[in-house]
Formats: sequence, C-alpha cells, structure tokens
Amino acid sequence: MSIRVGLPVVAVVGLLAQGALASDTRVALVPGGPHPYFAAWADAAAAASADFGIEAEYRVPSAWELSRQNEMIESLVAQGFNAMLVFPGDAVGTNSTLQELADFGVPSAALAGCTVDPSAASFCLGTDVARSAYLGTKELIEAMGGSGKIAHFTGFLVDPNTTLRIEAVEQAVAEAGGDVEIIQVIADIDAPEPADEKINAFLAARGSEVDGIVTTAWVPAVVAATSLRNLGDQRIKMVGIDHDAVVLQAIEDGYVHGTMLQNPYGQGYIGSYAMDLIRQGCAVKDDAPWLETAQTARFIDSGTAFVDAAQVADYQAAMVAVTEEVMSTFKDDFLDCN
Amino acid sequence: MTRQGDTGGRGALGAELRSILASNQFGLALLITGLIAVFATVNPGFASPFNLFSLTRVMGIDMVIGFSMMVVLVTGGLNLAVGSIGVAAAMLGGYAMQVQGVPILPAMAIALAFGGFLGWINGQLTVRIGVHSFIVTLATMSIFFGAMIVLTRAEAFNALPREFVDLGRLRYFGFVSGMLPLALLVGIGLWVFFNRTSLGREIVAAGANIRAAELSGIRIARTVVVAHALSGALAALAGLMLAARNGAALPSMAGHIGMGWLLPAFLAPVLGGTLLTGGVISVLGTALGAAMVTIITNGLLQLQVGEFWVQMFLGLVLLAAVLLDRLRGVMAERRRQVR
Amino acid sequence: MTERLRALALADWFGLLLVVLVAGTALAFMQPAFLSTYNIYVLLLSFSLWVLVALAQMVIIAIGQMNLSVGAIGGLVAITFAGTMQVWGLPIPLAIVFGLLLGALCGLFNGVITHVSGISAFIITLATLSIFKGINIGITEAQPFYHIPDAVKAFGAARVGGVPYMLVVPVVAIVGVWLLFNRMVLGRQILAVGANRHAAELSGIRVGRVVVIAHMLSAVLAASAGMLAVARLQLGQPTIGDDWLILSFAAPVIGGAILAGGHVSVIGTCLGVVIVTLINNALVLLGIDPFFVQLLLGALILAAVILNRWRERRREAFA
Repeated sequence: MSIRVGLPVVAVVGLLAQGALASDTRVALVPGGPHPYFAAWADAAAAASADFGIEAEYRVPSAWELSRQNEMIESLVAQGFNAMLVFPGDAVGTNSTLQELADFGVPSAALAGCTVDPSAASFCLGTDVARSAYLGTKELIEAMGGSGKIAHFTGFLVDPNTTLRIEAVEQAVAEAGGDVEIIQVIADIDAPEPADEKINAFLAARGSEVDGIVTTAWVPAVVAATSLRNLGDQRIKMVGIDHDAVVLQAIEDGYVHGTMLQNPYGQGYIGSYAMDLIRQGCAVKDDAPWLETAQTARFIDSGTAFVDAAQVADYQAAMVAVTEEVMSTFKDDFLDCN
Repeated sequence: MTRQGDTGGRGALGAELRSILASNQFGLALLITGLIAVFATVNPGFASPFNLFSLTRVMGIDMVIGFSMMVVLVTGGLNLAVGSIGVAAAMLGGYAMQVQGVPILPAMAIALAFGGFLGWINGQLTVRIGVHSFIVTLATMSIFFGAMIVLTRAEAFNALPREFVDLGRLRYFGFVSGMLPLALLVGIGLWVFFNRTSLGREIVAAGANIRAAELSGIRIARTVVVAHALSGALAALAGLMLAARNGAALPSMAGHIGMGWLLPAFLAPVLGGTLLTGGVISVLGTALGAAMVTIITNGLLQLQVGEFWVQMFLGLVLLAAVLLDRLRGVMAERRRQVR
Repeated sequence: MTERLRALALADWFGLLLVVLVAGTALAFMQPAFLSTYNIYVLLLSFSLWVLVALAQMVIIAIGQMNLSVGAIGGLVAITFAGTMQVWGLPIPLAIVFGLLLGALCGLFNGVITHVSGISAFIITLATLSIFKGINIGITEAQPFYHIPDAVKAFGAARVGGVPYMLVVPVVAIVGVWLLFNRMVLGRQILAVGANRHAAELSGIRVGRVVVIAHMLSAVLAASAGMLAVARLQLGQPTIGDDWLILSFAAPVIGGAILAGGHVSVIGTCLGVVIVTLINNALVLLGIDPFFVQLLLGALILAAVILNRWRERRREAFA
C-alpha cells in the first residue's frame, strides 16, 4: 500500500534529481534553516560549480533547529556529498556532527558563523559576530555624538551568539566612557509578530528618552526599521544588521543610520573553492594569518562592513571587491598544497 | 493496546490473529516495511551503515521523547513542557559532570531525578489547581526554560567526560546506534509498568474513566502526579541522550522554550494509537510511530525533493500514511463484520 | 440592579476582568507611559492580531478538537496575499478575497479530511501544518515579499489617537463570533457537537456539516490574522504564524474554554488575549532583564490561572 504512495513522489523526485558529475568534489552548503540571509549562497554555489568544475549545492534544512540540520547533514553524506560547509545550528552543538564527518573522511568548515573551539571544522569563514556587534555599536555611538542612551534588540537567547553580542555591545558602551548607557536589552524576538509587539512597546515607554538603537539580529532590524519609519522618527539613530531590503531602503530614506553587512556570496564562493582544494590534498596551514575570535582561533574574515546612506547604493560592489581580495591570496595564505 | 478491562487472553487463536491484523501497530509495521523497501530501492545511500547509524540514533531519541508524552496522554492530559524539562535536566547533568566533577552514572541519576521532580511539580500543580494540565504545562514550560536560561546564562556545557560523549557514538553490528536498544529497553520497561503493575493499570484506568476509577478506590490525584513525574524523568532521559549525541549539554537542544520537541513528542504516540482523550496506551505503537516518522524524514531528505519542498512532502506523506492506516483499519473491521 | 450585578459577578469571565483591571492599575502606577496614547495604540495593535488567532483556535476548541495548523494557514495566506499583489499585481480587494478564499479552502481541507476519515483533528492538522508551512517555504524560498501597496501599509500604521484602524477587523470578528455562539442555531450546534457528538447526531444535527464549517471559520479567522500581520509588518514574511500556536491555546483556555469541547467564552477569550498582551507589554515597559523574561512570563500566566481558578472556586462555594 505504501508503495502506491511512494511512487508518485519518486516520479516527481526523479525529474529533479541531477545526473552524474565530472569532478569528484561534491560540497554541500547547509544553512541553519530557511532564512533570507543565505539566498546568496545558492548563487555562490552555482558560480563555484561552473568556475571550479565541482558540484556545489545549497541544501536547506526544513526548519531552524539543530536536530533537523544534523539529520540533513547526515543524509547528505549518505547521498555521497564529500565536503560540507555549514552555518552552525549551534556554535557548540554542531561540533559533534562535524567531528563525525571528519571521522568519516568528510572535511568541513564553518560558514557565516563559527563553531566554538575545539572543533573539527577546517576553518571558519564568516563574520565575527561579537566584532560585528561591537563595531556596529561604535558606529552608533559616533552617530549619537558620543553620548546618549542605547537600546539593544537581539535574537534567541538559546543561541550562544546572542550572549556574545550582548557582551560586545556592553563592551563598546563601556569603552565610550560614562556618557553612553544601555537602557534596555530585548531578546528572543526572532519571530516578526512578537518583535513588532515588543519593539513598539519599548518605543511607547522610552521612545522619547532613547537616542540610539542597535540591532544584532535580522528580524529585529527589519521590524525596528519599519517602526521608526511609521513613527516618522529620524531623531533616534539606529544601526541595523544584514542586508534586508527594508533596512537598506530605510537607510536610503534616512530612518536608519547604517547597517553591519556581511558577505554571504563571498562566503559561499570562497568556501566552495577552499573545500575543493582541501579535497584535492591541500592541508590547512597552522601558521596562516588566522584571526582569533571569542569562539575560534581559525577565523577568516569574509568581510564585515558598515554601510551608511553614502554607500548603500553600491554596497554590492564593495562586497565583490572584498571577495576578490580574500580569494586572491587565500590559497597561499591558508593552504599548503604539495 | 491496553484497554481498560481488556486484559487479553480470551478468544480463539483465529480471532486473536484477526485482531492483530486489524491493529494499529500492524498497520504501522506494514507501512514501515513498505517505506523502507521504497527508500532502499530508490536511494542507494539509505541502507548504508552511516545512514542506518544516524537514522537509528535519531529514532531512539525520538522514541523516548514520544514515550515522555505518551505517559501523560494516557491520563487524558498533555505535557507541553517535555522539551523544557529535557533541556533543564540535561543542563543540570552537564553541570554536575563538567563543573562539579560528579561521575557519569550519579550525574545521570541526578538529571533523571530532577526531570522527575519537575514533572512531579507539573502533576501537583495540575491536581491542586484543578485545571487541565495543558494550561499548567504551558506556564511551566516557560518557567522551567526561563529558570534554566537565568541560571546558565544560556551557556553550554561542552567539556563533558569522554565516556559520556562516547555513549552517543555507541554502535552495534556496525550500524545500529546504542540509542535505539536503550529506547527499546525503556519501552519494554514501560510496557511492563502499564500492563503488569497495579499502579500502571490504575493510571490507565483513571485515564479511561475517572468516575469509575474513583468508585473502585483508585486515588486519581496520585495517578496524575505519578504519570507527570514519569514523563519528566523520560524527558530528562531524552535530554541526556541528546546531550551525549551532541557531545554537549546545550540550551538550544530543544529549540526556543523546548518547542522543538513537541512535534516528535505528539506524533509518535498519536500515530501509534494512543488516544488524546486518555485511557488507551500503546507502547509498541509509540515506538513504531517514532520509527515511521524518522524513516520518512530521512528518506525524503535523500530523495532530493526540490530544496525548499521537503517539509511539504513530509506533511503529505504523513497525511497519506495516517489515512492509509485508517483505511486499512476500516476495511479490516468490515471484513470482520461480514464474517 | 443587585440581581444584574450578581449575574455579572457570576459570569465566568468576571475574574479575568478583575485580573485585567488590577494588573492595568498596577502597571499604570509603576510606569506612567503605560497609559500613554502610543502605548494604548501598541496594545490594541497586538490585541487586534492575537484576538483573531485566539478566536480561530476557540472555534475548533468548541467542537472538542484542536487545530494545530492555525499559524501555518495564517502564514500561507499572508504570503499569498502579499505575493498576489506583488507578482500578479492583483488589486487589494481581490487579493483580500483571494486570501480569505484560500483560508476557507485550507479549512475545508482540514474539516473534510477530519470528518471523512474519522481521525482526530489533532493528527490531521499536525500533518496539514507541515503541508501548509511547506507550501509557504516552497513558494517563497524563505524570502519575504517586499512590495506591499502603500494603501495596505498605510492601513497597518494608521490610527485615531490610540485606536488603530486595524481594530475594525477584530471587532467585526468578535461581534460575529459572539453572535454565532449566542444567537445562532449553527453556534448552538457547534457547541452541541463539542459537548456530546453522539447526542448531537441523535438529535438530528448534521455533524459532518458542522465540523467542516467550524474548520472553515477557524481558517478564515486565521487568514484574516495573517493578512493583518502583513499590513502591520509592511511585508510578506514567510515566518508569519510560526509563533501563534501557544497563544492560540493560552487565551481561550485562560478565558475559560474547556478543551474537551462544548464550552467556550468569546468574552473570556478576549480577556485572555488582553492578559497575555498586558504581560508581554509589562515585561518590556518595566525593562526586565531579557534573561528573566521567559521565567516571568510563565510565572505570570500561572498566577493568572490560579487567581481565576481561586475565584471560580469561591464562586462555586457561594453560588
């Protein structure tokens, strides 16, 4: 009976499945779950496949959950993928899966966000979340003229990165001396409706008092930008994160001061390139110009940039430039290919 | 299936065979066999040792999560806090092992006891306040999870003893994760508890008909509290299993406020024939339900359904499975009536 | 007069009203901004959305079932509403009708399958939750629809003093559902099916029809909530609806609905929504440390339940 259910599904799937491949490197790019940030990875994977003669595929877990991601990664190995680029569903918890991949002879790297050392990831190519939050706050303080009251909106507390972000914002504020003060931190607002509810409640209570807003998660950035626009408020300075169209438009229109950009396309492209080289026998150098972050000692910056109204129109060109720069020296700097 | 008053053992062999064929568990077993046959034929990777190992590991953990919900469903209640309790208990276990240096077995015992204690609180609140456990556990899922976040500052314990982490890598015959036999052992224990002990039977009886049970001298409050405590301990066990699998006790293990566990928690028992209204329990069915969901998920992921469509197909296959099973049940029932 | 007062005090939502009044007064003293026009507006906005979500669930609780797919339907309709306007260039009224029809269709699917198969709606909607959410993700690939017509955006942000325009939708829904359950035959039939399906059948109620209609009504309410969320957020986020499940149950149950079916309270459900909204608002207004928010949220919900229950018991003792 179940065969009857199974067959139509199989037929559909058969059409979608892809044929045999030329190169033997099959790298999968696995985000933490469905999320607009990672859309550029799909383009990067397609470009990398064409440029390096490998098979790079963007595969998305059906929900934003560590267990689902782990199941996804395991099934990809069963399908014959032999290299893995992973946005860690949990900075600590993803390590055990990466270790199993390594035991099975599948190299992996952390992409966009890092795993916490010790990790089986060959390297972490992405954004230092703490540094990004720190720099964003610095920009905000500067825009506020060096003094005032700040609110910080961020994501799920269970995400270890959230704590790092809260601490980074605190650090930037502490360095500004006594003139800047964090008056409120609102967390756990990764879903749009609660974010709208809480951010507006905050603006109702302390909107006249607060001078700056820093957001360190995607949804709060989008919702806060929309709220400021609805209020018509250009007094409160806000620094967002990432490249959602709403945030970028708000920067152009003057409701948001700027945003901390990352470089997802470059991450996917360079990451695929590196995994192919590692598959071909290159070893990761120990004495490479690694950066050290709160999470890992093997960090490569894929480009973090602050973008304000002046640069927002052509931020993509800036990112292409960063990608090319990292790419040009990547092999010599980080890999040992003998 | 354990039904109030139906202690089995009567009727001819033929009738018994027919009732087995008509049973929900048989239908599930049939579906599972069919699914495995299809997936193994279509995906060469499905039957690989690597895949079977990860498949059985997820299966074992989901079974225990399913059991944890099942033991409360039988009382006619619900436990939304399974995820919160599981994570909170596993975090305490992690703290005991990593920070206090408690040896593994006592640390695990502490975690299980703590899970049981949190479940006991749920049970007590349900009985004392006199509202449905749904609303009590809705509140406590937030409270337990919130307290865990406050105490741990959402930081993971990732330097657990080697031997504990190795439990997650335990492997039999080269392809069966140690998690599956463990879950099956727990299942056997639960079957014995609900079928062969007076307390277990009282819980089922109370779930089936509170009035009747009360009249026959069963202390209803006690059955509710025991079921919740048991549920908490099972959730804690699932939390420990997941911690071993992840090599760390993580606050994010069950998603935001533990809601990530709700789907497997409900799916397994409900597919397995445990009624939400209480009084009917099927340990074997829950195990089979968990097995089926895990196999469908795993198989679908490998079928390379377009990128973003996996979840929809998962829903469709689930719906088809449930409907087919129902159809089979109805047809079996009709055939029996004709004779 | 005293008679009427007595009857009022005996209504099952009276305790909740007391909880709301006490909590509101306390909040106003602790944080003067609570009563500011803008905060009233924010509260009413949240209320507008959540009350639709809660009513969507309440209708199904009334027939003694559960609808886990409320959020998934809301999300699917939200992105369809936004998508038809952006991609097909559908005029706003047509897009709204399309959204409502799609919602009704989802409800029809839930209702028919539940009734024909005889399987509990809990299981069916668990599967359809995955299907509806899956279609949503499949269509959008997790990308929001950004181009919402200005009129829709304006509607989502417009207000008269502290009253958002959006409030019109839930007010219509509340009145409609109240009339349904208190003045119409269909409402009584729904409750009869929820209270005792078998007895309802014997008394000549066409149970199948009632179940299907209840599911369609629930889905249409969820669909309206989804479209309101689009107007409010000013974009078609695929994640709309992901967070609705808990609240959809919490509000009706706090409001005195019996999960087994047969008894629901529209006013109680509204007050349940108000309580949850107040708690969320208070946690922000009082500047609670984010690490404590979840803990306090749970504790306050529990306190509200205990308080209401305690009053009920006293009432039972005196009645």
